Amino acid sequence: MTLAVSIQQLQCSRGQFRLGPVDLQVPAGARVAIVGPSGSGKTTLLRCLAGLQAPDSGTIQIGDTIVDDGQTRLAPAERHVGLVFQDGALWPHMTALKHLRFAAPGLSKQDALALLDRGGILSQANKKPGAMSGGEAQRLGLLRALAPAPSVLLLDEPLRSVDVHQRDGLVLLLRSMCDERNVTSILVTHDRDEALALADYLVVMRDGQLVEQGPSIDLLEDPQTAFTAAFLRGAACLSAKANGNGQVQTPFGNFPAPDAAKANSDMRLVVFPGETTADEQGEGPEAQILAVTPSEGDGLRLRVACEDQIVIARAATRPTGATTRLRLTAKPRLLPWHNHATEPQS
Amino acid sequence: MAARNERLARLPLWLALAFLSLFVLVPLAVLVFETLWSQDGFTLDAWRALADDENAVEQLLASLRLGVAATCISAVLGAGHAWLTVARDMPGRSWLGPLGVAPLVVPPIFIAMAFSDLVQDVAGFWPCAILLGVAHAPFVAVLTTRGLRTVDGRAYEAALLLRGRGPADRWLLRSIAPELIAGCLLAFLFTVAEHGVPEFLTVKGKTWHTYAEGIFSRWSRRAVGTTHAELQSPIVAALPFLAALGCMLWAALRLRASNPDRGVIRPLPVQTLGKLRWPALLLPITYLGAGVFLPLFVLTRWVLGSAQRLDPMGLDYARESFAKAMDQGLPDLMHSLYLGLGVAAVVVLLAIPLARQSARRWPLLDLLTSLPAAMPAILLGIALARTFNSNPGIGWTNFDFYESWGFAVCGYAVRFLPFAALTLASQVRRQSIAAEEAGRFVQRSASSRALRLHVLPLMPAAWSAFVLSFVLALRELDLAVMLPAANATAVRRLANAVHFQHEDWSGVIALLLLSAAVLLPLLPSLLAGRKLSSLS
Repeated sequence: MTLAVSIQQLQCSRGQFRLGPVDLQVPAGARVAIVGPSGSGKTTLLRCLAGLQAPDSGTIQIGDTIVDDGQTRLAPAERHVGLVFQDGALWPHMTALKHLRFAAPGLSKQDALALLDRGGILSQANKKPGAMSGGEAQRLGLLRALAPAPSVLLLDEPLRSVDVHQRDGLVLLLRSMCDERNVTSILVTHDRDEALALADYLVVMRDGQLVEQGPSIDLLEDPQTAFTAAFLRGAACLSAKANGNGQVQTPFGNFPAPDAAKANSDMRLVVFPGETTADEQGEGPEAQILAVTPSEGDGLRLRVACEDQIVIARAATRPTGATTRLRLTAKPRLLPWHNHATEPQS
Repeated sequence: MAARNERLARLPLWLALAFLSLFVLVPLAVLVFETLWSQDGFTLDAWRALADDENAVEQLLASLRLGVAATCISAVLGAGHAWLTVARDMPGRSWLGPLGVAPLVVPPIFIAMAFSDLVQDVAGFWPCAILLGVAHAPFVAVLTTRGLRTVDGRAYEAALLLRGRGPADRWLLRSIAPELIAGCLLAFLFTVAEHGVPEFLTVKGKTWHTYAEGIFSRWSRRAVGTTHAELQSPIVAALPFLAALGCMLWAALRLRASNPDRGVIRPLPVQTLGKLRWPALLLPITYLGAGVFLPLFVLTRWVLGSAQRLDPMGLDYARESFAKAMDQGLPDLMHSLYLGLGVAAVVVLLAIPLARQSARRWPLLDLLTSLPAAMPAILLGIALARTFNSNPGIGWTNFDFYESWGFAVCGYAVRFLPFAALTLASQVRRQSIAAEEAGRFVQRSASSRALRLHVLPLMPAAWSAFVLSFVLALRELDLAVMLPAANATAVRRLANAVHFQHEDWSGVIALLLLSAAVLLPLLPSLLAGRKLSSLS
C-alpha cells in the first residue's frame, strides 16, 4: 500500500492545549475525515500537516518526502499540498481567473478558464470574491487549491460557510475532482454529515488524541467507544457500575461485565437511536417526554430525558395527553472496557 | 534560493527599521545626551537650570491649558459635525459629511492670518485656542464619523426599544468613545506641539508663550551668548512632556485599534431633529466657515488687492497678483509640491512594512513608530539638526546631507510616518489571516507573494496615507523653520511674506497650494467615481 501521508509521534502544544502523540497513516487516493468537537486538535493537526504550524516533535512524511522531522521543515509551498479554508480565504483584490493563475505559476489562461468551467464558475472568471455567493467563493477556493496539482488536498470544514442548498453541488464537485486527479483528501470537521459526505475513512479525535479510526461504515455500525457512538450516531451514554460478581448494573438490567472490569468502576451503557422503544408498560428505566415528532417509518419519534441524557426512542402510539413519563426498552451495548478512558464523563 | 528570497522580502522592513533608528532613536538619544554633556564634560546644569527657571514651568502650563481648551473646541465642532451628518437628518448632510475633513487641508497659519486680517487685535489665549481648535477639529470629526459608522444600527435600535432615547444615546456614546477619545488626543497633541500659530499671534501682540516657543526662542539665540544650560533646559522640560504625550498617543492608537470595523452591520438609523433641523446647520456652517471658507475668502480678497486698500478691488489687480506670484512665489510652491510628493512616497514605502510587522508580529512597534508624532516638530527639528548638522560621523563625504532636500524629506517623513503606519496597520488587522496563509501554498518567490498578496490589497489604504502625508507636508510650518532645505517651502515663505505687505501674490500661492492639496484626495472621486464619503 502506497502511503500519501504518514504521521509518527506528532506532538504540538499551543498554550494550554497539547496535541498528540499522534500516529496516522493515510493511503494514496484515500478520502479521510478527521472528526471531533471543537478543541479536539483536528485543526492543529491539519495545520501541522500543511506547514502552517510547527510541531514540537514527530515526523510528517508526504509521499516519499519527509516534510517535517524537527531538522527538516519544508515551507507549505514545498509540500505539494493544497488547502481549502473554511471561509474560502480568497484574495479580495484578485479576480477568479487571477486567483488560479497566481496560485499555479505555469497555468495558461486557457487552462485556468477550463478549470473554472470544470468548477462551474466560468461566468465568474472576471469577478472578485466580493461579488460571488458563498458557494461560488468556496468553489473558487477548491479550484485554487487544486490548480497547482497537489498530491494531497487538505480541507478545513469546506462546507461550513456554504448555504444548505449549495452543499450537495459542492460535495459532488469535490469528490469528482479528487477522483479525476487521484488526489488524496484529508478533511477536518466537527460536522458528522459533512464528514460522511466527503470521506470514506474516519478518524475520531478528542482532547488532542486519536480516539478511534476506521472505515466510515464500520465506525457507524460498530463504534468501539461511547464517545464515537455519541459523536457519530447521537447515541446516549448512560452511567453503569460493575459489581464484584462479574455483572454490570444498568438501568436496563444487569449485563455480564468485561473481563478486565473492576468492582465499582464506572462504565458506559450506549443506547442508539432507533434501537429504543418507549411505552407506558415497559420494564426499563423511566424517561420524561421532551418532544414528539412523526417518524420516517411507522409510529412516532420521541425525544426523552433519561438519567441526564437525551435518548431518541420510537413509540407505536401517541402518548395520552396526561402522560409525561414513559418507560424505555432497548438493546443497549456495554462497550469494551479498555476504551472507557477516553469516553465522556456525563 | 528560497532563504535568499525570504531575506530579500524582508529587506524593506529592515530598511524601515534602520530609518526609524537613524531618524528617531539616534536624534532622541543625542538630545538626551546633550542635556547631560557639555564642553566641560558631564553636567546636570541643564537640569538645575530648569529647576530655577519659572518661565519653563509657566510655558508648559500654558501649553497644557491651550491644549485642553483647543481640544474641547475641537471635540464640540468635530464630534458635533460627525453626529449631525451621520445620525441626524440635517439638511445637506450627504455632502457636508465628507467636508468635515476639509479644514485639515488648510494650514493653521492660514486660518490665523485670515482671522487677524478680518478682526483687529486677534491676540491672547482664547483666540489662539479657538483657531487651533478649529484647525484640529477634523481629527475628531473623521474618527467620530468612523466610530458612528462601525456601530451596528440594530444594536442601537434594541437599546432604543428597551430603554428609550436617553439611555440609547448614552450607549451610543460609550460605543464610539474609543474613536472619540482617540480623535481628541490627536487634536490635543497637534495643539500643544504647534509653534507657528502661537508665534504668529505673538507678533500680533500676545504676551504669553508656549513651551514650543520657549524651545525655539532659546534655540534661535544659541549663537548670542546663551549658555549650554540655558539652551538645554527647555529640552529637559520637554522630555517628560514628550514621554507623557507618547503614552497618550499610544493609548489613542490602541483605543482606535480596539474598535475595528465589524463585519456586516446595519447603519445607524437617521433620526429627525424636528424643529432643530435647520438651526442645526449653524454648527457645520460655523465649523467649515471658520476652518475653510473664511481663509479662502480672505486669501481671495488679498489676491484682489484688499491689503493694498484698492477700491474697488478687481480682476485687473488679480492678474497682477498672479503675475507677481509666478515671478516670486512659484519656485517656493514647486518646492512645496515636490517635497510633499517625496515625503508622501517615502512615508508610504516605510509605513507598509512597519504596519505589517506591527499588525502581525510586533505590536509594540506601534509605540516606536508613533513616537515622532508625540514630539513637537520644533523639538524633532532640533534633534535632527543636532544629529546631522556637521556631524563628523557622516561628514566623510563631500555631500552635505544636512542642507539637502533628502534631509528635509526624511525629516518630514519621520514626522508623518505615525499616521500612515497607523492607517495601514489598522487595515492589515482587518485583512484575513487565512487569506495570507493561503498565499503560503503558492509556489512563487517570497517577494512576489509579498508584493501581490500583502502590498496590493493595501493600495487603497496606502493611497489614503499618501494623501494624508502629502497634505500634512504641504501645511507643515514648524519643521520648515528648522530644516534648511525646507526653509523655501510656500507655507514658510507665506508666513513671512505677509509681514512685508506681500499679501497679493501670497494669496495666489496660498490658493494654488490649497488647490493642490484638495485635488489629490479628490482624484479617486474624479477619475474612478468613488463616493465622496470615502474621504472621511
